[in-house]
Amino acid sequence: MRYALGRLDLTLLALLGLTLATMAVAGATRAPVLVDGIVLAIAAIKGRRILLDYLDLRSAPALWRGLATAWLMLIVGFAWAASAVSVLLPAP
Amino acid sequence: MSVTDCEHEEAGWGVFEGLPGDPMMWVLVLSELVAFGLFLGAFIVTRAVRADVFASGQTALDVTLAGYNTIVLVASGWAAAKGAASARTGEYRFARRWLAFAMALGGAFVIIKLVEYAHEISGGIGLETSVFFTLYFLLTGFHLLHVCLGIVILAVVCRSADPIHVETGTVFWHMVDLVWIVMFPIIYLVR
Repeated sequence: MRYALGRLDLTLLALLGLTLATMAVAGATRAPVLVDGIVLAIAAIKGRRILLDYLDLRSAPALWRGLATAWLMLIVGFAWAASAVSVLLPAP
Repeated sequence: MSVTDCEHEEAGWGVFEGLPGDPMMWVLVLSELVAFGLFLGAFIVTRAVRADVFASGQTALDVTLAGYNTIVLVASGWAAAKGAASARTGEYRFARRWLAFAMALGGAFVIIKLVEYAHEISGGIGLETSVFFTLYFLLTGFHLLHVCLGIVILAVVCRSADPIHVETGTVFWHMVDLVWIVMFPIIYLVR
């Protein structure tokens, strides 16, 4: 008997792959602003997949998809901006 | 406003219409997301101000265990979503099995986190070691409490496997999952 992969299964595989990619990228010591940006961008992609597929907001009103995505982007964007500022403009 | 209008308003959930699960769970989820958002914002701002303290504190954390916990929690979210899908199609036995699997993975998350805490505490790290560890223990501890509460909620909705109850319980579980997905890089990885 063959098991057909559904959307939830593909989402799980994507999340596992992205988690492993995060761990691999985070080990890099060069270009911390870029590395932090990649790590946080991956977190945003993972969060979006959880919102759309696990929480099933894909079929929910656009207002809720937008609100939840805005929460995600706000935190991830703020974390990256703060990290970039502290690397580019180190404290005296 | 006529009596008919009032009855019509009470029957619908307004802006909450179309969301999975009970709308009251979404009120809770929204308030939790605001609370975690403020907490994470405080962590980010404090790191920008005390970069040296945060950099040295971060080196004492076990990134590998936290990575395992990320894998465990996304797998648990997948099992919970499969449980909700099974409940919606009336496959209650499968729904209970998926939810039990999700709870078991949630239990694994708790155990791994406690092992991580035990390593840190045995290494002489505590709440008052530095501002980094104060925020680290408060943030991850607050999240861990939500994981425990989520397991209890899944156990409650697992009994009946009623579709609306299962959807309501899994909404909370996915919120816990989402918060960890954001928290993991911010606390453990971002420099």
